[in-house]
Amino acid sequence: MKVHVLEDISLEVYDNEFVVILGPGQSGKTTLLRIIAGLETPTSGRVFLNGEEVQGPGPDRGLVFQSYMLFPWRTVLGNVEMGPRLRGVPKEERRKIAAHYLELVGLTGYEKYYPHQLSGGMKQRVGIARAYANNPEVMLLDEPFGQLDAQTRYYMEKETVRIWEQEKRTVIFVTNNIDEAIYLADRIITMEGKLPGRIKAVYPVNLPRPREHTDIAFLKLRQEIIEASKLLL
Amino acid sequence: MLKVLGKTLRSEFSLYVISFFGFLLLWDWVAKEQILGRSLAPPLDVLKELHRLTTVKLAGKDLFGHIWDSTRRVFIGFAIGAVFAVPLGLLMALNRYINALVKPVFDIFKPMPPIAWISIAILWFGIEEASKIFIIVIGAFVPCLLNAYNGVRLIDPELYDVIRMLGGNRRAEILHVSFPAAFPAIFSGLQISLSIAWTCVLAAELVSSRSGLGWIIIQGMRLTRPDLVIGGMAIIALVAWLTTLLISGLERLICPWKRGIKEGYL
Repeated sequence: MKVHVLEDISLEVYDNEFVVILGPGQSGKTTLLRIIAGLETPTSGRVFLNGEEVQGPGPDRGLVFQSYMLFPWRTVLGNVEMGPRLRGVPKEERRKIAAHYLELVGLTGYEKYYPHQLSGGMKQRVGIARAYANNPEVMLLDEPFGQLDAQTRYYMEKETVRIWEQEKRTVIFVTNNIDEAIYLADRIITMEGKLPGRIKAVYPVNLPRPREHTDIAFLKLRQEIIEASKLLL
Repeated sequence: MLKVLGKTLRSEFSLYVISFFGFLLLWDWVAKEQILGRSLAPPLDVLKELHRLTTVKLAGKDLFGHIWDSTRRVFIGFAIGAVFAVPLGLLMALNRYINALVKPVFDIFKPMPPIAWISIAILWFGIEEASKIFIIVIGAFVPCLLNAYNGVRLIDPELYDVIRMLGGNRRAEILHVSFPAAFPAIFSGLQISLSIAWTCVLAAELVSSRSGLGWIIIQGMRLTRPDLVIGGMAIIALVAWLTTLLISGLERLICPWKRGIKEGYL
């Protein structure tokens, strides 16, 4: 059965911009991300990165998965250095790269652990470091904190801002959590809540970082998005 | 006093001990009271008989000779079966053309119990070693192939996406995802194959042989010697268990990430 998942999507993302795609389940936002990643081929439409058409998956885009997708048979270090390894980077150098990004995500000292020995938050830190290790131009994150408890999630959002400010990249971040979207984004794109998914509205977020969830401007924007969506996100 | 007793009973280890010796006592009692007639030897008699077999030769071989004969058959048949079945299972899972070519034939033979091959094996290979090993190969083949196949088939496809996003090609997908992800399934296939191999060697030795643990059991039956029969059974259980330990050890060596998986989170 063919399902029409996306329609009329036109989106431009700028260098080092943090864009959050916000939508409920079944709004096609993950499919959109997978098309940008090159993992799905759209039946119509195209994706360009720096004027070049995206022809498939590639190391110029780093993908972070909702369910982490770490290699259980590799240590933390083995997971993080997989990208450079696949690109043929010599061992010495990829160790250095991995060490750098493990430090970035705060996992120095955990190199020899296996994924099953880590908590959910730590697993996703490995996921982020692994995607960073290929030095991609664009980071794609697909509901990366969807499986974490509220406390850890809040903490990981803070960490995401810290990491991004330290190592700026263009980020496309998919979530169904409105607070997460406002906390992180330079710009929020909301999607319709039914298929085919369409872009519903665009909200620039001009609040200074680090943001406070209880800030008046934060709450006003939150209210505005909820009312416009007419949906409980 | 009662408190101590309660605590002892609640510790798992003491329950293990109670279970084990309780079983031996029950066995001893049933044998000595001859509840099953004379066809059950008490545990001590079995032990004595086994000890006697280490010094006396049966058909030119002592107990260890017979153990070795069976074990050798198992290992040779098991190794041949695994060496062919595991790669074939992997290839079938990785390439749909190979799968389409092999699977229909495999599906015909899959439900056939390996023991069903005994007669034809003897017709083809005679009553010597070759026919016994053939049965074991057949028996070991099916679970090895199925587990290797399923091990690859059940991999989360998103793991391949990771490799592709990181810049890997199909070869990298197979090398870094398919193979390592299938290892645990391959090892459980090897374990199942090994226990089937023991069943097969026994069946083959019961049908026709001049040595091995199955032959010892048959001798015991012919001579109406329950101590010999039960001794043979116990030794098979022991040796089969030791060989499975070998495979588990190998798995721990090759799959270090499976170690201490129950140690919990940090």
